Amino acid sequence: MKKTDSEYSILVNDVYKKFKLVYDKPFTLKERLIFWKNTKVGYHEVLKGINLKIKKGETVALIGVNGSGKSTLLKLMTKIIYPTKGEIKTNGKLTSLLELGAGFHQDFTGRENIYFNASIFGLTAQEIDARVQDIIDFSELGEFIEAPVRTYSSGMYMRLAFSVAINVDAEILLIDEILAVGDQHFQDKCYAKLEELKNSGKTIVIVSHSLNAVKKLCNRAVWLYKGEVREDGPTDKVIEKYLEVCG
Amino acid sequence: MFKEIYQYRQLLKSNVRKEIRGKYKGSFLGVLWSFVNPLLMTLVYAIVFPFLLRNSQDHYTTFIVMAILPWNWFTSSIAQGTNTILVNGGIIKKVYFPRAILPISIVVSGLVNFLISCLIIGIFLICSGIGFSVYIAFLPIIILIQFMLQLGIILITSSVDVYVRDAEYIINFFISLLFYATPVLYSLDMFPARFKFFLQLNPMATIISSYRDIFYYQQLPNFTLLAYVFCLSAFILFIGIKIFNKLEKGFAEEL
Repeated sequence: MKKTDSEYSILVNDVYKKFKLVYDKPFTLKERLIFWKNTKVGYHEVLKGINLKIKKGETVALIGVNGSGKSTLLKLMTKIIYPTKGEIKTNGKLTSLLELGAGFHQDFTGRENIYFNASIFGLTAQEIDARVQDIIDFSELGEFIEAPVRTYSSGMYMRLAFSVAINVDAEILLIDEILAVGDQHFQDKCYAKLEELKNSGKTIVIVSHSLNAVKKLCNRAVWLYKGEVREDGPTDKVIEKYLEVCG
Repeated sequence: MFKEIYQYRQLLKSNVRKEIRGKYKGSFLGVLWSFVNPLLMTLVYAIVFPFLLRNSQDHYTTFIVMAILPWNWFTSSIAQGTNTILVNGGIIKKVYFPRAILPISIVVSGLVNFLISCLIIGIFLICSGIGFSVYIAFLPIIILIQFMLQLGIILITSSVDVYVRDAEYIINFFISLLFYATPVLYSLDMFPARFKFFLQLNPMATIISSYRDIFYYQQLPNFTLLAYVFCLSAFILFIGIKIFNKLEKGFAEEL
């Protein structure tokens, strides 16, 4: 990375993302041979020329109505999908919380799943050993940690998943509308933890519809509208304008 | 790519553990099934085939068990490996990690099983009175070649299977075909030289014969053939890495 780049955590450079919409997708060879010129293909352009520079230590909220491309942008940042045009650079270890509990194995105990889930985020065994107690404490699962995950209630499941993801110690944290986790007590705890991460200089990008929470946590907001950046700036101002139009 | 896989080595480790333990969770015998299965297969063949073939092999059960166990590693790796990206679609769509971890952990978990299976082969060698020889020292080389071959194949099949779901069925058909073209139940020496040449184009034929050379015949494996299979496997692995790297970018969208 060039020296000028190093103050940025995420650089989004003129990114376009087009999804192919195939009606009656030919999954099998037979279908492919019979309908090989008949499949209707449409394109849906989700992102149209996004430019974003996110500095280290910034807390950025992506807001916008459904279908404006927020989640797609987040997925592009994590490298789950790749842009059709343009490029995205990230600088530093990255964790994404797009969906909690991705890859939990139902028959394994909570503790085993901590190891498995944390390793998906790229941690080594020693690093997980050092964190496992923090994770269990944060989840408040107590003795249930030794029970198979399939016996958990959905709240317990979410608490465990969130505890793992938030204790991974990444430099960049991408969060997609998952803070509606657990009861009020646990939610408060999550926000407190995010606040703590923010203060320790982590970069956080968060997609959320709960504007009040966003106002408290983020110092910058980006309003996406139909795949383009409509407004970018301090959270209060952007939200104000957003509410004028969409409220 | 290799650096990243090293960085995610813990994921590889826990995924291998999941493959080995998760598969049989809920069954009484658990992991033991991965050994009981090939042994039962051996038993069936050992009863049926001496009736069908006028075979002149001494210790026929020992003769086939050392071929069935590596063959079992081959088929289970290919069958599970081809599926692995589809089966793990849920987490591929949600988390980023080097996708190659999935096929690699299939082959590695198969390897762990096979290494334990080697103890079974040892037991058969002792009980039949054949015993051991120094040629067992070549075992790691043969295992390495088989490992490369399998990994190369499933890097290709697993990524293609995402786009064309038929791959799975085509592969399964070819595996059952290949079983008869591979000297598992018979020896290649039963064929005339001209025919034998064609059978030896199949890399698994040489691999299985080599296991038999070091365990059963207690002689050096055929290094010319083994070198050919090594080059072929390295080539398939190289192509596999290329194809996988190219196709993996579309996985999350295609699944």
